[in-house]
Amino acid sequence: MFLIRWLWKNMEGSRRVYILGLLCTLVSQSMFIISPRIAGIITDTFIINENAAQNLETKPMLLVWLLVAMVGFTMIRAAIVYGSSMCYERASQSMIYNIRKVVFHNIEVQDAKFYDYYRTGDIMTRVSGDLDMVRHSVAWIIKTVLECFVMLTASIVFFFTMDWLMALCLISVTPIILIVAYHFQKAVAPKFEDKREKLSDLNTAAEENISGNRVVKAFAREDYETKKFDKLSQKFRDSSKDAAFTWYKYYPFEETAAQGLTVVMLVCGGLFVIFGRITFGDYMAFSGLVWTMSNPMRQLGTIINDWQSFTASAQKIIEIYYGKPRIITREDAVDKPERFEGKVEFDNVSLNLGGKQVLNNVSFTVNPGETVAIMGETGSGKTLLTELIPRIYDVSSGEVRVDGTNVRMLKLQQLRHNIGMATQDVFLYSDTIDGNIAYGDSDCSEEQVVNSAKLADADGFIRKLSDGYDTIVGERGVGLSGGQKQRISLARALNVKPSILILDDTTSALDLETEKHIQDSLKNLDYSCTKIIVAQRISTTKFADKIIVMKDGSIIEQGTHEELIRKNGYYKEVYDLQK
Amino acid sequence: MTRNKYDVDETLETPFDIRHLKRSLKYAARYKKQIITALVLSTFAAIIGLLSPLIVQHAVDNYMGDKSDIPMLLISGGAVLICIVVSVLLTKKRSVMMTDVGQNIIYDIRKDLFEHMQMLSFDFYDSRPHGKILTRIINYINSLSDLMTNGIVNFVMEIFNLIFITIFMFIVSWRLALVTLAGLPIYFGIMLLIKNHQRKAWQRVSNKSSNLAAYQHENIVGAKISQMFVREEENEEIHDKLAKAYRKDWMSAVKWSIVVWPSTDVVGIIVQAAIYATGLFAFRGTITLGTLLAMTDYTARFWQPLMNLSNLMNNVINAVAYLERIFEMMDEPIDVKDAEDAKECPPIKGDVHFENVTFAYESGINILENLSFDVKAGQSIALVGPTGAGKTTIVNLISRFYNLNGGTVRIDDSDISKVTLKSLRSQMGIMLQDSFIFSGTILDNIRYGKLDATLEECREACKIVGIDDWIMSQKNGYNTIVNERGGGLSQGQKQLIAFARTIVSDPRILVLDEATSSIDAKTERNLQNALNHLLKGRTSFIIAHRLSTIRNCDRIMYVSGKGITESGTHEELMAKQGDYYKLYTSQSV
Repeated sequence: MFLIRWLWKNMEGSRRVYILGLLCTLVSQSMFIISPRIAGIITDTFIINENAAQNLETKPMLLVWLLVAMVGFTMIRAAIVYGSSMCYERASQSMIYNIRKVVFHNIEVQDAKFYDYYRTGDIMTRVSGDLDMVRHSVAWIIKTVLECFVMLTASIVFFFTMDWLMALCLISVTPIILIVAYHFQKAVAPKFEDKREKLSDLNTAAEENISGNRVVKAFAREDYETKKFDKLSQKFRDSSKDAAFTWYKYYPFEETAAQGLTVVMLVCGGLFVIFGRITFGDYMAFSGLVWTMSNPMRQLGTIINDWQSFTASAQKIIEIYYGKPRIITREDAVDKPERFEGKVEFDNVSLNLGGKQVLNNVSFTVNPGETVAIMGETGSGKTLLTELIPRIYDVSSGEVRVDGTNVRMLKLQQLRHNIGMATQDVFLYSDTIDGNIAYGDSDCSEEQVVNSAKLADADGFIRKLSDGYDTIVGERGVGLSGGQKQRISLARALNVKPSILILDDTTSALDLETEKHIQDSLKNLDYSCTKIIVAQRISTTKFADKIIVMKDGSIIEQGTHEELIRKNGYYKEVYDLQK
Repeated sequence: MTRNKYDVDETLETPFDIRHLKRSLKYAARYKKQIITALVLSTFAAIIGLLSPLIVQHAVDNYMGDKSDIPMLLISGGAVLICIVVSVLLTKKRSVMMTDVGQNIIYDIRKDLFEHMQMLSFDFYDSRPHGKILTRIINYINSLSDLMTNGIVNFVMEIFNLIFITIFMFIVSWRLALVTLAGLPIYFGIMLLIKNHQRKAWQRVSNKSSNLAAYQHENIVGAKISQMFVREEENEEIHDKLAKAYRKDWMSAVKWSIVVWPSTDVVGIIVQAAIYATGLFAFRGTITLGTLLAMTDYTARFWQPLMNLSNLMNNVINAVAYLERIFEMMDEPIDVKDAEDAKECPPIKGDVHFENVTFAYESGINILENLSFDVKAGQSIALVGPTGAGKTTIVNLISRFYNLNGGTVRIDDSDISKVTLKSLRSQMGIMLQDSFIFSGTILDNIRYGKLDATLEECREACKIVGIDDWIMSQKNGYNTIVNERGGGLSQGQKQLIAFARTIVSDPRILVLDEATSSIDAKTERNLQNALNHLLKGRTSFIIAHRLSTIRNCDRIMYVSGKGITESGTHEELMAKQGDYYKLYTSQSV
């Protein structure tokens, strides 16, 4: 029932259309009875009746009218069926649209923990295959259920009005069908869940193969990848078969029972005719309508199949649908619409991720406009440290303050608007270079984009590309060199004119001349900007107002270049290495 | 190379033709035996299915008079029941068979497509959103499932059905049969009209779903960036537009698809009315009551297969919109492939020769022009120079990731375009800028370099790069699960694991492309020492910006202006006081 309520909720805006569709189905289903009934009257009056020949002589117009009515009703019914189908399609599409919107919103706002947990291919399965299954169910399963229900009820009622005993005889097969259906439903549910999991695995493998295509080729692992994918593909195939076969196991019972109605009809109906309980005309009417009972029964298997498949998919979507990010703007957040000054304070900050202490009691202060460089061994927590400022992660204890306010008390959007970040692992969108640089402010002028590119020393190479700023770069910027990607990523960060600029190893792939140029640009920005730079090179850190050296999540050295050289610690060691 | 982005529909070069269907039938042909068996089973089921109304008709006509008819009535009932059971069992058998075949076909198509994908070069992956590739290999192929499972047999069966019923009708009354057939032209006219609209409409839908997938995929992968740049709302608007476009095109496609069923229904009832009319008026007295009743029954049965065929046609048209995309990708030309007479590359000693190499990513814009150089086995070469000068390109050409526009690259004595890619690349160790980590255990990731590497070998490699201690400090050690985004690994750690992965592969030629950019200086120093040991006897190419890394190489090549402008040892180049000198002095503190 929860699923139904969930569907109903998402149908907002098209509920009326959907109900209209259901009503149309009700009407059209009840009209199913009409044509056969007319046929029955025709048979009764003009074929079987003792006075059939006479009737045809005296009332030929009646026959004509009956035929016209038969065709007319069917046409009306066809129009209604068409209308109702359109209603279902419209309603299911707009419902899917609503769900998609929420799911996409959640994907957009989910925090890092979510993304550490869910694999890309898995999320893709949810937004594609799973969603389509939900659409299918809304458009067709519910409608089929209603159709069958109405048809069955109508025919049962009709049969009872004709002859209760005959009706009872026909209904007698129902328990068999229900029992089989019950067992089938229990057996098939886990199969669909399994099939869905296998699909998700397949999706993940394909996704990784595509994303990692360079590594695959570098190691000439095409065969290995093919085998790996093949294995998953086989598993998915087998699981699909398994799910389908489950139905066929129950199918003979279900189908024989449903079709068996014909036998019940023939034998019981025949006996009743012989014993004079019903007329031959009644028999014909019954037998003409026996399919209205058997068809819904035959549909039951398909319905259960689809429903279980739907349930398996819907649960996966609902997981994301109701997933709430933990990092959000608090209700009592401080409104700070003006540009931030850019003061950053870490006050005894610790961070615990997955049960591991990754940052320990980190404290430091950066004043507006200052540059702080962060250095340290691989895995010492440099990146995580910077990620606490825009709240990609939240501290476990302690406080990160920007302009004197705890970042958790700031509005997330306002906070992030004031921060420009260029990450280590450069991600560019398959969009134009212009679109990529203007990512943080898509309304900005072309001039500003060019200016940002110039600051990042990217203008030169961009202009040399075939379409200049309109060159489309592939996802992850493939097709560009590492250094080029980094510069576009830097231009993107600078383009938002941030109060706080975070550069996480952004210049590692740049040659030194370029780096120098960039350093100069950063020094001469025409706005005040606090810079937090993670770097390995002394050439980068040297000019910082403050250098922080990290080790195992703690600050081990802190000071200016000269101070740290004098200190003769880690920094000095690195300095000597690079001299 | 035309690049594609999420909101651009891909234009399809090939127009619709029957070839797509024929081609998919080729996949079906592999299961000829099962399909034919299924058809035979279906035929029996159908014949037996048709028997029951005959028996019923006979019973109604003859055994409903008085009590003496009861035994025969019961026997008739029994006979019908047997018919039902037999036909149900036959149907079950054939459904199981066809599900099997259908799923196998889906699997085969997917396999072929994936295998083809593996042979496509970087260009293919670089020039379109990955979500579009993904949606083809997964969703498009899945959407064929129904057609492949039920479509083939149903199609043939419904045709059989039609033929059988037509024959039965002619046996019962040829005149009424003709009346029934008169409805066919109307039916075909309607179907043709619908088909033309449908086809284009479903093509648009497949495009829109591909766009949507591309955008969703990009946003999943780039979620952190969206959030950092506070783009959530704007992205949602873009997504909204794409979702709306999809919905719109879906609605306009489906409005044609669902007209099929009601219109068939209407034509069917008109024919039935015609049977009554002609049966009662025109052929009055010449046909029996039972005949007329049977004919109305058969007419209904005649339109049922047509109805099913119409639905099938809907499916086919829908599927073709996906099939053509699948086949398009399967036909994507393979740029870099083994020459026809390609030989296995013999064990590489390590000499590398570039002879007049010219290369361009986009025709007309040469990255390298007439580049020539020789590297002796065992030498370590550093490539330095401005960003974008072509350093990565040079090393990519050694592994033949791209074809040359001119000149030759030779390793030892073999032209690399004349040896098999696999034998060449498996002897090379390439550490790329982008250290992609697969989801799985750390051990799996390291073993990627050498599939049968023992744990000891992997640990050895990790010790060399200095990450063994860290891995061992994890709760699950080498069995720690990581995922494609690294999941808990820092960028530096990812690079180290990628490094270990390369070392395990024990390459003859080692290429390090910014392999250590995210690794701290101290770790790198240790790494360097270990590497020096490792590099002995192997040719290596190192791209780095940290001069401390470069200095120790046997030879340094300065890449700029489409070629190599300076080449020599550190001392030589310093003495020359050229570009390298400038670069070096600018870095020195």
